[in-house]
Amino acid sequence: MFSHIYKYRLKCILRDRQIIFWTMAFPLILATLFHMTIANITSSETFSEVKIAFSEEGGSQEYRLLKETLEQMSAGEGRNGGKKLLDVTYTSRGEADSLLKDGKIKGYICYDGEIKLVVKDRGLEQTVLKGILDDFRQSISSVTAILEENPAAANGSLFDDIAKRADYLIESAAGKAAPNTSVHYFYTLIAMMCFYGGFHGLKEVMSVQANQSSAGARVNMAPTRKMKVFLVSILAAVTVQLIETALLLLYLAFVLRVDFGNRIAYVLITCVAGSFTGVSFGACIAATMKTGEGPKIAVVISVSMIMSFFSGMMYHGIKTIVRSKAPVLSYLNPLNLIADSFYSLYYYQTYTRYFTNLALLCGFFALFSMFTYLAVRRRKYASL
Amino acid sequence: MRILPDMDILSHRQMRLKKQITNVILLMDSGHLQWNNPEGIMGARKTGGDMTFPAGEMGIAMVIQVKNLVKRYGDLTALDHLNLEIHEGEIFGLLGPNGSGKTTAINCILSLLKFDKGDIMIFGKPMSPDAYDIKRRIGIVMQNVAVFDELTVYENIDYFCGLYITDKNTRKSLVEEAIEFVGLGDFRKFYPKKLSGGLLRRLNIACGIAHKPDLIILDEPTVAVDPQSRNSILEGILRLNSEGATVVYTSHYMEEVEQICSRIAILDRGKIIAQGTKDELKDMIRSGVTIEVELIGAPPSIERDVRDLPHILSAELNGNMLVVKSEKGKSNLVMLLDYLKSRNIPLGRVYSEPPTLNDVFLEITGKELRD
Repeated sequence: MFSHIYKYRLKCILRDRQIIFWTMAFPLILATLFHMTIANITSSETFSEVKIAFSEEGGSQEYRLLKETLEQMSAGEGRNGGKKLLDVTYTSRGEADSLLKDGKIKGYICYDGEIKLVVKDRGLEQTVLKGILDDFRQSISSVTAILEENPAAANGSLFDDIAKRADYLIESAAGKAAPNTSVHYFYTLIAMMCFYGGFHGLKEVMSVQANQSSAGARVNMAPTRKMKVFLVSILAAVTVQLIETALLLLYLAFVLRVDFGNRIAYVLITCVAGSFTGVSFGACIAATMKTGEGPKIAVVISVSMIMSFFSGMMYHGIKTIVRSKAPVLSYLNPLNLIADSFYSLYYYQTYTRYFTNLALLCGFFALFSMFTYLAVRRRKYASL
Repeated sequence: MRILPDMDILSHRQMRLKKQITNVILLMDSGHLQWNNPEGIMGARKTGGDMTFPAGEMGIAMVIQVKNLVKRYGDLTALDHLNLEIHEGEIFGLLGPNGSGKTTAINCILSLLKFDKGDIMIFGKPMSPDAYDIKRRIGIVMQNVAVFDELTVYENIDYFCGLYITDKNTRKSLVEEAIEFVGLGDFRKFYPKKLSGGLLRRLNIACGIAHKPDLIILDEPTVAVDPQSRNSILEGILRLNSEGATVVYTSHYMEEVEQICSRIAILDRGKIIAQGTKDELKDMIRSGVTIEVELIGAPPSIERDVRDLPHILSAELNGNMLVVKSEKGKSNLVMLLDYLKSRNIPLGRVYSEPPTLNDVFLEITGKELRD
């Protein structure tokens, strides 16, 4: 009996193109769109090597020293194993000028009685170039001043000391992965997908409730316990939801290269808990609301969307605002709990926040399931 | 398609009664009838051993017994002290206009709906949502098509049959039989949305009868169905009954009920207003035949003159057609024609129609069944 009902409920769910679109295709499309949009946004924040030209015409000893410095800065790996800062083309001034006009370089350095930086626009790269030149000039000025006071210093480690740079602030992630704010959008997307599993729950409740579908009335007339049919149906719904979530995870991780940190087992646990909660949410709406299918679907969509918004899916800052201004709301939003579980796994070394989220999520699952049970266990109806 | 004449239905029922009586050992005990035929009264249909049913008229087992059933929706009384007795082997028709309480009665009988008062027994046992042994023997064909759009014809029948029959092989043959029975052999792999209204209704029936129930309840199975499919469905119901199933058939189409039902209850505003065979029902009223005569050049006063004739209940002149309702049991047709002849009124076409269930309904309630 179990396999009979399970098999057919799986078929019913998987063949419902409309539901499969909203629960699987839509999140995949949204993930792709997010990827494209967020990639554009973050590219402006991601620093890549600055392309410049260095005019080899004319110069002084100081200018030649600058060339050596630039050669060091553009060669191989940067400091602390980071990326190199500059990509330098050594050419004539005329060529450098045309490269700048063509937009192939951000600026060029030339010698015109003194060291000059020529740029066309303003921006991060231009500021960096100016910073490098200022730093160089400051170093040269320091050396000149010291040597004027104490010429013997030239025999010591003066030049090494001046060239040496010490970082007093080190960026480090609290979690095991590198910080990346864009992942949050994908985390809320997974959470939203879990709650779109509510469509499956809704469909299964309607298929066994005599007052919601004719097929449900037929099921109620069968010599099989309604609760048994219902539980098997919900299990089929959760199965499909888990498969869909797994597909989204794989797509995010391997195609869009979204970083989930290193605690994959906990990520999967969150997905399972989220899927159960999402399906039970839809089941609860279907079982308790005394309206037709349309309004129920509208409630599932609108509630999921509102919860997604307050989780930061549309604007990532809202999550911080809610957490600081009305922290209770962030705990009362099960969709946020799912997204925040991924977030805490990614950013925090400890599990306190993660397990708090998970416990609350399980609480919501229990609550939704209880309301559903109380409504579905009814075996006679006041009206059909 | 063969539409069975009245005599066919009557003789069919008589044959069934004879078969039952010869097969059954009657042990009258406290108003109950017990049969010890291991195969039961329906031959291969019954799988159990001894069964106890309350005895009805002529010692025929009672399949459904409803006593004083009351169902209210707020101030509206949907069922008002409804009493029903449906016997083994009959096709029982529940006839009534839309909103008369037919479907409500069926849903209460099936324990789908809560009711305010009354007792319901099916196969001699109180019906309840947990009465799985009773449910196992009931097949229900809903008024609305109750199938899943995502499953094919075969899968739908198999799914619902599987809620009754767990053995895969048995189920397979039952599903095939049901498909064959409703004539959906060429549509096995079709999804419901690809089926016409008539075929969809047939699928609905197949889902309800595949497990070979002893009691089949069909709630308006021919609504919005073309005449060909309707005839096919009615023929199928007669076949199911001839194979041993007791049938409860609700409809607001009196022609259908007259055509297939051995006993009829007429329902209006939640009350049974008349019950019996169609002849018994027609005997309850004064109306006899309705005579329609085409008159050529008759004076307008003819309407009043005919109305004044003995045994004539009403007369109405519609254009050239004089429609006359007469009392039953008299030679009213001959008398009317003689009268018109004596008035030298030339006659055209003449029709005579026996009373219908609509006449019964009209006379009892003062309104048309189709209202």
